[in-house]
Amino acid sequence: MTSDFRFESDAELPGSDLLGRLAYTVARPVIARLWDVKIEGIEHVPRRGPAIVTPNHLSFCDSIFVPYALPRRTWAIGKGEYLDSWKTRYIFPALGMIPVDRSGGDAAARALETAAEVLKRDHLFMIYPEGTRSRSTNLHKGRTGAARLAERCNAPILPVGHVGTLDVQPPDTFKMKVNLPVTVRIGEPMWIDDFGEPGDPRRMRRMTDALMFRIGQLSEQTYVDTYAGSSDTPLQKPPTLTRPTPPPARKKAKSPVLSAAGEPR
Amino acid sequence: MDNTDTGGMNLARLLDDKEAAATALIRDGKAVSFGQLRSRVAALRAELSNRGVGPDSRVALVAGNDIEFVVGLFAAWDRGAVVSPLLPSSPVPELQRKLEALRPDLILGGGAGAWVAEQAEAFGASVLVVDEQEKGDGPEVAVIDRAGSDTALAMLTSGITSDPKVVVLSHDNLRWAQEAVVTHADGIKADDVVLGALPLSHIFGLNVVLLAALRAGVPVVLQPRFDEVECLRLIAHHKITILAGAPPMWRRLALAEGPNDAMATIRRATSGAAALPTEVYEVIKARFGVEVGQGYGLTETSSLVSWSLGAEIKPTSVGRPIEGVDVVIVDEDGAPVNIGDVGEIVVRSPAVFGGYQNADEATDAVLSDDGWFWTGDLGIFDDDGYLYIVDRAKDIVIVSGFNVYPGEVESVLVTHPDVAGAVVVGELAETTGETVVAYINVAGGGQVADSSLAQFAREHLSEYKCPTSYRFVDELPMAPTGKLIRRKLRQ
Repeated sequence: MTSDFRFESDAELPGSDLLGRLAYTVARPVIARLWDVKIEGIEHVPRRGPAIVTPNHLSFCDSIFVPYALPRRTWAIGKGEYLDSWKTRYIFPALGMIPVDRSGGDAAARALETAAEVLKRDHLFMIYPEGTRSRSTNLHKGRTGAARLAERCNAPILPVGHVGTLDVQPPDTFKMKVNLPVTVRIGEPMWIDDFGEPGDPRRMRRMTDALMFRIGQLSEQTYVDTYAGSSDTPLQKPPTLTRPTPPPARKKAKSPVLSAAGEPR
Repeated sequence: MDNTDTGGMNLARLLDDKEAAATALIRDGKAVSFGQLRSRVAALRAELSNRGVGPDSRVALVAGNDIEFVVGLFAAWDRGAVVSPLLPSSPVPELQRKLEALRPDLILGGGAGAWVAEQAEAFGASVLVVDEQEKGDGPEVAVIDRAGSDTALAMLTSGITSDPKVVVLSHDNLRWAQEAVVTHADGIKADDVVLGALPLSHIFGLNVVLLAALRAGVPVVLQPRFDEVECLRLIAHHKITILAGAPPMWRRLALAEGPNDAMATIRRATSGAAALPTEVYEVIKARFGVEVGQGYGLTETSSLVSWSLGAEIKPTSVGRPIEGVDVVIVDEDGAPVNIGDVGEIVVRSPAVFGGYQNADEATDAVLSDDGWFWTGDLGIFDDDGYLYIVDRAKDIVIVSGFNVYPGEVESVLVTHPDVAGAVVVGELAETTGETVVAYINVAGGGQVADSSLAQFAREHLSEYKCPTSYRFVDELPMAPTGKLIRRKLRQ
């Protein structure tokens, strides 16, 4: 357990009240007791100032072990629906979850606003670059939200890779198995300025790909260049690396698959 | 841009409605009016008729940025011929290869290409030299009507990523692209003066610079051989307002000897054919006060896909799709990717070509039945609809599942002080699938240690992008536009 944990509170953000402090105070020793959590690279977490924490995502309990591994209190965005259930209504915000309504077209923009607010206030913000849990156990292509935040808030990104959370809480189970090892590795901070000219979307993609590469090294996962999502098949063994086969040569060029409005999505 | 009147047209008629006294071309300080140009074209047209040149005859036009190029082009078009412009500076064997692919009925030489007359035998085709003494005393020969879909140009591509192919462009293709330039609010205005410094044998210099300007009726100052000091002089002397160049030209202009107000009259500066380095953009802007806007296009699209006209210039972007050009970025299955994601650029417009000559398989691989052209270029859109070019799809190197774009690695390596040029390709590798290999041309022909390059790469690139092998070569294969020909180094 990290001995010098700092509980940052911020009246403008959820979870800064007594309940929040209590939740952290109670939870941390319990976690330390129930699991064998090994933390590597803690020196890479800045002592002060903003940073974007970007772990791989395999299990629901990643949201417990990664914040636990950090020496500072962290915030993250969670589904607005959690506030509808009595089980999660109080405890999730207390743990630093900022509810964002995911319905409507500008949900992503609202989430980004919220995240920027946390970073502007010099705190840690955690976001899963894969967007959702990987059902294949592979590391999936990253979404560019973290890089956009990094550019907007001039904050470093901390790549995080963890191993073991899937055994603690496999998908679709509620109960967490205890007495298992979990390793959380934190990589060196990455800065957006190292990836190209401001405002260039290639810079976001470059940084995101580099980030996923680092996470993959830390999490020991195989990378696949597709987004995690519904087509992501459950629990395959990671394939062994072979020569990438190019797509079969097009016999006849196709027309793009456009939406009714003829617009790209 | 209504193209329905295809019952009878000829692109060459764009000269007809211009004031006879208005200046069409200037070369070496000598002006040629539209009236003079029309008479010279009419005289050569008669001569070509005598030579049996008629509808669908194949004419190779070997001339530089000379008046004779323009006369030859229009006269051949007037006769309904299909024209293939070729660089006159090509060595004989190269020209021979090109002519073998094109099989012209007649080679027209003119200006810097007049020398081809001496090599007629080597080329195995009859040669006619366009000179100032075209005979105009014969009977008048009429312009032959064409359908809009008839072929006007057969352009030999440079073969950057594959064997050279012949791109067939119709009268309508070219006309649509020219009109897109002329009718744009920020396109060509009545008092513009255009500098023709890009080679006229290239679709950009030919259709977007020369022909669009002639269609608009404004003068084109021809610069036969690019020289940066002379270019600055021409701009100041002729009060050039529109300047189009390729990155190597802009790089030389950035460092050219000459006054810093040499570009004071320029109101529009564009770059195409390859990526313009940001530092070149910055120097041109700081020194001359001119913002160079990039555009993107291919021979197959009559040069036009996107440009930086009429909107804020983003220096690293090739601008936004031109009105009337549909541009989507798709994955391998043809599904559009998210904004901010990389995919292949697929284009549809009235300027998209009809196919490659005598190469149905190659045509089918890139052109869908309803006119979508798969460019083979990878791109990315930003939130504002600006397009950015990533690399050629065929050149991607996949290391441990991660895409490595050689251009990015090359652009880092060339900033090493000892590196003059770099080409990056992929090679098979045991554990990672492929690995990155760099071919390096050392500045001054000297030596540089692998370890120095490796360390430099590690400092600037993600680990999976760093070359695992460096090979030193005396020369890198490069096209005149500044594009590297990577396939020549791929194994």
